[in-house]
Amino acid sequence: MSNSKLHSDQKYIEALLKNDTRLLVEIYEKFVPKVVGYIKKNNGDESKAQDIVQETLMTIYKQAKENRLQLSCPFDAYFFLLCKRKWLNELKKLSGKEVTINEEVVSIDDESVRFADETEIFNAKHELFTEMFNLLGNACKELLKMTFTIKSMEEVALKLGKSYGYVRKKKSLCIGQLTKLVQNAPKYNQIQDLL
Amino acid sequence: MTPEEKYDLFDRYCTQQLTINDQKRLDRLVKEDTAFAKEFRLYQDLHLHIEVSSTSEKEQKALENNLKHIGDNFFSKRKEEVKQSHKDITKQPKVIRIPRWTYAIAASVAIIIGVYFLTPSDPVYKDFVDIPELSLTERSGGEVYIKKAEEAFNERKYDVAADNLFALLQKDINNSEYQFYYGISLLELNRYPEAKSVFQKLYQGDSLFKYKALWFEALAELKQKKYSRCRILLKKLPKTAEDYQNAQKLLDKL
Repeated sequence: MSNSKLHSDQKYIEALLKNDTRLLVEIYEKFVPKVVGYIKKNNGDESKAQDIVQETLMTIYKQAKENRLQLSCPFDAYFFLLCKRKWLNELKKLSGKEVTINEEVVSIDDESVRFADETEIFNAKHELFTEMFNLLGNACKELLKMTFTIKSMEEVALKLGKSYGYVRKKKSLCIGQLTKLVQNAPKYNQIQDLL
Repeated sequence: MTPEEKYDLFDRYCTQQLTINDQKRLDRLVKEDTAFAKEFRLYQDLHLHIEVSSTSEKEQKALENNLKHIGDNFFSKRKEEVKQSHKDITKQPKVIRIPRWTYAIAASVAIIIGVYFLTPSDPVYKDFVDIPELSLTERSGGEVYIKKAEEAFNERKYDVAADNLFALLQKDINNSEYQFYYGISLLELNRYPEAKSVFQKLYQGDSLFKYKALWFEALAELKQKKYSRCRILLKKLPKTAEDYQNAQKLLDKL
């Protein structure tokens, strides 16, 4: 993601990947109070804050898992920005219109904004991919899941009672079909415009 | 190139099965045709997306559950703190001048209280509970959670102890010692349903803590003043159990 020097807060990204409870507790203790304060000042409560924090951490995990997120900025500002934007989206959804919020001065550097932007784009893409995957026929979905969990194509072919050549070809065609579905989705062009 | 050929080429790239000639062909097409290049990049993204989603389902669920647990703990602690600070605010010290005649009333009240405490009353949790010391370090190496769990537990900081024991259980879910002390921590934090389920699981097993867990489950009922449930559990303790005599004493009082 970035060529800059890795920040020592990369440990929190690794903690999400390794499900390291000690560091995850530290994330809550060090960074979450600020998020809760912000959400409570802006028409939210503690239970909404808990949901926003959990969803944001899961988004970061998914990005780290797929794209090897390499943090070169402090986790604090990056995480706060993501939670804040998620909460604003939530408010917009709830009220159905633009919201006026109680803005507070939080020092956020350009690098953190860039990382937060990339995570948001990743999340939008991820959601679209999942949505489009669900539009595939059952045969494609099953075959794709099997080819990635079983790994050996020969074994997949055996399980499905088909030839190795058929399974290989079908797999590439199914992902090809998914590629077309994604390319034709209006949301995909909106995401591409952000890049 | 037909779509079949194109996707086959993409797929062989993603699974690292391209020949040198195929690789050259792919490189050339990516350079010359922007639409082809875009589709190729998207194919790779999707290939990776499906691979990660299919292979890390369990891992993702485990993280989700762990975050939920940590979040629940964190937010319930915050609630407690807020309650406490409200209490502190309302507890403003007041200076009251006491008239002399009130001393006589105070003396009478003292006598009444004295009589009350000398008469038999319901047994209470703190008279029966005897929390053992937690000592894991020497046996299990220098893991950071072990040290923290042990220190916090022995200093009666049960919230910290519970967090660290929970972390240890994530790595060693069947460790009965962690489970037992985790249960006691939960009980001390008045998290009864969770404590009960930990003790029940231990009682159903065959570890050294089987009957200790039953005794503590009974104490959990006592702490909640659920005397009949406490009695039922106490009666299940066999004579060979370490806490059998204590259980009999408690049964006499109930």
